[in-house]
Amino acid sequence: MTGPVIHDVQTLPADDNVNPYAFSVALDGQWFLQKGKMIAYYGQIDFQGIGHGRLDRLIAGSFHSPLHATDWVVAEGRGKMLLADRAFDVNSFDLEDGNLTIRSGNLLAFQPSLSLKQSIIPGFLTLIGTGKFVAASNGPVVFVEPPIRVDPQALVGWADCPSPCHHYDHQYLRGFLGGLRAHTGIGGVSGEEHQFEFVGAGTVLLQSTEALMPELETGAVPDEAGVPGGGGQAAQSGSQLPQLPGGLGGLQRRFGL
Amino acid sequence: MPFTALNSRMVEAHITPGQRMFSQRGAMLAYRGEVSFTPNIQGGQGGIGSMIGRRIAGEATPLMTVEGSGTVMFGHGGHHVHVVDLTGETLFVEADRLLAFDGSLEQGTMFMGSQGGVMGMVRGQVTGQGLFTTTLRGHGSAAVMAHGGVIELPVTPQRPVHVDPQAYVAHRGEIRNKLSAALGWREFVGRGSGEAFQLELSGQGTVYVQASEEKL
Repeated sequence: MTGPVIHDVQTLPADDNVNPYAFSVALDGQWFLQKGKMIAYYGQIDFQGIGHGRLDRLIAGSFHSPLHATDWVVAEGRGKMLLADRAFDVNSFDLEDGNLTIRSGNLLAFQPSLSLKQSIIPGFLTLIGTGKFVAASNGPVVFVEPPIRVDPQALVGWADCPSPCHHYDHQYLRGFLGGLRAHTGIGGVSGEEHQFEFVGAGTVLLQSTEALMPELETGAVPDEAGVPGGGGQAAQSGSQLPQLPGGLGGLQRRFGL
Repeated sequence: MPFTALNSRMVEAHITPGQRMFSQRGAMLAYRGEVSFTPNIQGGQGGIGSMIGRRIAGEATPLMTVEGSGTVMFGHGGHHVHVVDLTGETLFVEADRLLAFDGSLEQGTMFMGSQGGVMGMVRGQVTGQGLFTTTLRGHGSAAVMAHGGVIELPVTPQRPVHVDPQAYVAHRGEIRNKLSAALGWREFVGRGSGEAFQLELSGQGTVYVQASEEKL
């Protein structure tokens, strides 16, 4: 029978997990972390909110989307720092001259040698460069290789892959009975009609459940035409005809109008 | 053995053509290959008769049929998943705890009163099983969900097992279960131990217990 393991500043792991739910960073310099994810630290560490003058150069180098920088703090100093997030599973990942796109709520912390950018896909952030980052997930993370289709809620992120696309499974809604089902809802739906499809070389990160982590604001994108999620000109559907109100637009499309 | 545990909360299943599998709707996390997910009105196997039976019994959890060829990963709600391999025995489990199961297993519904009469019905109420429970019989595997990890406790005729009704997940084999109530005057004056009701399982088989008293 072993008692609880008691850690001190020497026995705490350096840049590794203490247990599945807590991560220990051996800090010597700077790290970025999401606000409120530090649970304890040893040593001399300063936590600076982003947007203060002294760190401006660092921010400019590592944060290319300053619009959401208020959600992040810089930990600066020497010591051991423990990170955790509401008892979700925490994992660290190493990037070597690579890129990884991750759901904004799942990213906890990263080294300043990585640069953080907004993804074109709303709600996702992309890390580029070499370094270590820490991410949380609801249940352990599973790595899979494309080609694969993934439930949107189970997706944590992906590395080195081309962007995912939407995939729809509607086979069972074909034919007369299928049409009846689609229009009346009789028989119910499987809840698996929509997936994200990944192809090409890379790695896809899945969490073990469909319960999403709360989203973190990624900041607004510039108000420009052609920017997805931007407030610019709403994307016009191919048709120039005025659209019928309500769900009838879909009907219009069905008849090829 | 179609299920492979990827981690404590996720299983992977291999689907080959001609072999069906049932899973709870919305429990698919990812898949490879050409696999189709069709909502199953009947809530499992059998025809309209079985469906009505299940509806009446309150054991009609929305299921979908998984067919095709490829691999599918299942997980649901952050619950722990436990794979039970059956070789001819019967598994008794609540329908909403079933994450996925082989189409080769024969699905049925059992009336709790058939084991222990009125006390069986009381037991159903206390454990949250209701008056009916789902049975799976035959050769194949089932993935069962639980809150917290699952512990398997063997039951032998000499060694009955007492289980907290809220921690009970499922059982298999030839097991008689009865609710033992240890109600005394303390319970009535509000000084009970909180463990007044226990399930006593006796016979030959295995009982699955979750490491939590939280219902799904």
